[in-house]
Amino acid sequence: MPWHQKRLAQLVQRMVGFPADRRTPDERFRDDALPHLHAVARYALSLTRDESDADDLTQETFLRAFRAWSQFVPGTECRAWLFTICRNTYLRSSKREQRVAACDDAELEALGAAAVHAAAQQEGLDDVFARADMFIAIRKAIDELPETFRDVIVLADLEDESYQEVARVLEIPIGTVRSRLFRGRRLLQEKLIEHARDAGFVGHDGTDRTRRDRQQ
Amino acid sequence: MKVEMLDCDAVMRQLWDYLDGELTPPREAAVRAHLAVCKRCYPQFHFEEAFIKAVSASRREHSRPDAIKSRVLAALRAEGFAA
Repeated sequence: MPWHQKRLAQLVQRMVGFPADRRTPDERFRDDALPHLHAVARYALSLTRDESDADDLTQETFLRAFRAWSQFVPGTECRAWLFTICRNTYLRSSKREQRVAACDDAELEALGAAAVHAAAQQEGLDDVFARADMFIAIRKAIDELPETFRDVIVLADLEDESYQEVARVLEIPIGTVRSRLFRGRRLLQEKLIEHARDAGFVGHDGTDRTRRDRQQ
Repeated sequence: MKVEMLDCDAVMRQLWDYLDGELTPPREAAVRAHLAVCKRCYPQFHFEEAFIKAVSASRREHSRPDAIKSRVLAALRAEGFAA
């Protein structure tokens, strides 16, 4: 390589922090976007709750991403970028539920979690989430959450995205992510404890308190 | 490094942020130190941690991962994708 090309490559490397990318845009798409296909398919399924609709949405997401590939900023989180496209595509194509008013006090919501735990403890259900048979009830409870809260729970708790990435995908401030996430978790816990109570789950000390209480 | 002392109320307010790995390292150390000794806060931490793990484990995977991959690749190739 002539010295001036070498020097240019060194300068580029210093500026962007990695060697100059010699891959074609299609190769970068293959390496950076396509590995997230299954995560996008899963996210699409969380949004549509129907596998056939999710497949359509996944395909549309990747077509839109491919057409807009020149707009993707290398070095940023590609998965979150794909989730953003997926969600926007979904929102454009679906009749959405009425959005509920969001609460904005994350700290209060965090404290509300203590009340849920105290109620579970009182009923001998503080080990309820460790039960292997809870996950079907958890899926159903997530599906039934108002969209405002389901949106953040799916990204933060199912897809393990950071608050910052969730904020980016949903285009809302981080404070709103926190308050919706904490409230969504509380709603979910309340539903699940209700489910456990109705199913007559036995408390950790071996007594079936819920049934006994009902009989009293 | 001196670990900051937190009271129960402060820990409860930050419990989700702690479980989500969203606190700064000094604050995370302070919450961890409190949970290690507090009989009141630890059971709630344990409860919320089990909840987060259970929700994460409930994640639905696509039932035909190869089929959706082939379908997306075919659609991309029709669009001119060549890699």
